[in-house]
Amino acid sequence: MAGLATTFGSGAMTNSINEIERAEVILVSGSNTTEAHPQVARRILDAVDRGAKLIVIDPRRTRLARFAHLHLAIKPGTDIPLVNAMMRVLLDEGLADDLFIEMRTENFHALRDMLFRLDLDEASAITGVPLPQIAQAAGLYGRARKAVICYCLGITQHVCGTENVQTLANLAMLAGQVEKQDTGVAPLRGQNNVQGACDMGALPNMLPGYQAVDHDDFRLKFDRAWGARIPAEPGMRLMEMTHAGANGPIRGMFIMGENPMISDPVLDRVEETIRGLDFLAVSDIFLTETARLAHVVFPAACFAEKTGTVTNTERRVQMIRQAIDPPGHCRPDSEIISSLSARLGFPLDYDSPAEIMEEIAALAPIYGGMHHDRLEKGWGLQWPCWDRQHPGTPFLHKYYFTRGRGRFVPAAHTPPAEPPDSDYPFMLITGRVYHQYHTGTMTRKSERLNRECGKAELEINPDDAMDMGIRHGETVRLISRRGELTVSAFCRNQVAKGMLYTSFHFSDTPINRLTIAALDSGSGCPEYKICAVRVEKLRSKP
Amino acid sequence: MTHPANDLHLIKKDHLTGLLRKLMKTHRLVAPVRNRHGDVLFTAIHDLDAVSFELTEPPQNSLKEFFLPQEEVLYTYKVTGKTGYSFQPSSVEVPATVYFGAHPCDISSLLYMDVIFTRNRRDPFYLRRRRGSLIIGINCNQPAENCFCNATGSGPFLELGSDLQLTDLDDRFLVEAGRAGGRAVIAEWPAFFSPAGEKEQALRYQAFLEARGGFQRQVPIEQAIRRLREGTVPDEIWAELSLRCQDCGGCAYLCPTCTCFTITDRPLAQESGERIRAWDACTFAGFTAMAGGHNPVPSGEALRQRFTHKFRDDVKVNGRPGCVGCGRCVGACFGGSDVIRFAKQVTEERGKGAGHD
Repeated sequence: MAGLATTFGSGAMTNSINEIERAEVILVSGSNTTEAHPQVARRILDAVDRGAKLIVIDPRRTRLARFAHLHLAIKPGTDIPLVNAMMRVLLDEGLADDLFIEMRTENFHALRDMLFRLDLDEASAITGVPLPQIAQAAGLYGRARKAVICYCLGITQHVCGTENVQTLANLAMLAGQVEKQDTGVAPLRGQNNVQGACDMGALPNMLPGYQAVDHDDFRLKFDRAWGARIPAEPGMRLMEMTHAGANGPIRGMFIMGENPMISDPVLDRVEETIRGLDFLAVSDIFLTETARLAHVVFPAACFAEKTGTVTNTERRVQMIRQAIDPPGHCRPDSEIISSLSARLGFPLDYDSPAEIMEEIAALAPIYGGMHHDRLEKGWGLQWPCWDRQHPGTPFLHKYYFTRGRGRFVPAAHTPPAEPPDSDYPFMLITGRVYHQYHTGTMTRKSERLNRECGKAELEINPDDAMDMGIRHGETVRLISRRGELTVSAFCRNQVAKGMLYTSFHFSDTPINRLTIAALDSGSGCPEYKICAVRVEKLRSKP
Repeated sequence: MTHPANDLHLIKKDHLTGLLRKLMKTHRLVAPVRNRHGDVLFTAIHDLDAVSFELTEPPQNSLKEFFLPQEEVLYTYKVTGKTGYSFQPSSVEVPATVYFGAHPCDISSLLYMDVIFTRNRRDPFYLRRRRGSLIIGINCNQPAENCFCNATGSGPFLELGSDLQLTDLDDRFLVEAGRAGGRAVIAEWPAFFSPAGEKEQALRYQAFLEARGGFQRQVPIEQAIRRLREGTVPDEIWAELSLRCQDCGGCAYLCPTCTCFTITDRPLAQESGERIRAWDACTFAGFTAMAGGHNPVPSGEALRQRFTHKFRDDVKVNGRPGCVGCGRCVGACFGGSDVIRFAKQVTEERGKGAGHD
């Protein structure tokens, strides 16, 4: 979010999912696309069938990496030196798009100066990627007429997540691979409505429609509309709230559809914070680990039980329609908020979700032409959609970047917060598996999905396992500076030596007890992707 | 073309609703309907006047779910004493049902299910849904984008399998009464039917010729069957298909002939529960994985199993492939490892595309 906002002016996917199909080169970085975004992976495979070249940057040999023409197996947390090296190759080989840089961007000199000081051999050593592979990737990307970069949490969940994104944006601008059809930068959002939540101001510093809360014009507009005074100070970020400790400044919380007791790093600290609250209310469709700690639980309606819209990763606002009645006392989240607000003395008087959408259209210009009667037809509309006549925007930044000129923001290598050492010699990467979703609140209730994958699996390189005498499937103890747990180890070549991989879905193996609360200064996102751990056998055989 | 045993009749399109209304007096009606979101689905119909049938575009679901529900309670159980269980078969009343508007592919798949569930051991849960079913099929004048029933020998026109088989002749349907159930309908409601003559037979044949020429895809199923029988499918092709397959199981769930199921016990209380039968898919790892975690079918082999079953083993055992060419899996597949790609790749010399392992 923050990375693309500072470089392009808009923190969303520049193009549409279908456009990926027509790209000539696709660079996928930090995304296990076939498992986490199968619909996007499908477009990538289709593009390859049409002759596109696929480059995958990932420390693991994922399914997509095996499918790729070129897999750059980087050491975790070295994205910046890798992409910087690719950019240096582009400069050296005259593949930079000079005209695009001149016409559409600013601050190029800072990037160029930084790149000319770069030692390519050193970059290759840091990243563990041979120089010819880096050069090949740069050449493919730079020479393509239409190229797309897809990235995901493998880029953002680092202490340098924002810089990682900015560096990818630098690459796209340097090669002129943005601002047109089938060509751009695609951050893949995970949940069906995480884009919509951001759009609607579920961010500490934004009002709906990315209107900054510390900007007087925007704030006063909302003050007037809502007849209330909105604080000019940006709010707190997630980790500042869930890691504040038992005596933190926040005394009460209302948590909706989120399960920080599984999903946030250093779970012991999260539990201490939540148990220390004076009051906790949770709204969810199931009694989650977090909801168990609440004073009040609101049973919420699920997607099939309510009407409204969701906004997906390509900025597409789509209608969802109620198909069945909510069971028991469950109610849509909007109704829960409205009644709560009324009890607090601020009645929210909406007769229908369509009426809420009309207010959104009036206050958030990028949603200006989004009304339920329009959205009901076809597959929805992509923002920005300024008015009723506007057809929506399949790709962003046509003619000029949202912020005016695209800004090069050069970045240098930032090592991971907790590199492995002799006490904790392994680098643990956390991620997701195909058959489970997020904290498993929903998917772990399915017998079939649990049969496919019902417990956490720790992937370990077979050589490492052999050295330690660990058998395939053996239960081992996994220890970090913050905690320990037991988990089954599986010997797989997908992970390199010195690396471990597991998922965070399982409450019986709460891997976030181990992860580190090192935050990206730009977004506040924790470094879920790297922490140092050691593996111990439960007991040695006699 | 026309089966000599078939009675030939005509029904005007205007009178179709009238006939169905009569049938609904004694039967539940299931037919393909376009819902308000634009999707065509086989749907149980309560109000004949509130729906419009869609007889050309293939429905997204098949008839499978009506005979083998996605999830079905077979038994309820109670814990008795310290060690025992007592099982009670579930009592579900399945009404006699008219399935109207089934395309030849879906009728063919029903015949396939009959073989699976009744040939060796008669499955009572299948039979309680299959008995009392009346099938009114419709031949396909316009094959859809992903259709290839011509290659699997299950369409676009069908002579056997339905009780009544309709062919669209513009303002009327030609009606063939293939089975006793169909002849009984015509005998009971003669007012709606008139005799058909040679002219209509000629029109039917013309429609067949046009439909046969209307397929947008040529899928080399016969050659694929031969390559599988000879065992000459190169390993690289299986490797690439497996790499593309994303284990979603969508193909098997949509497939009208994929009838593999799993049985699980679901506790409802401390001392009682249900024994459930639910759809399963051979492409799932858990389909073959053993309790200790070992899987005798290594990942990457599951897709080979799926295609080998359909195009080698089924041909050997039943004389015809376990695929009716409906094309549903083609539209659903995330990885493009569907049956059409399979057939095309195994009949080419080598697989195309990336995949360097």
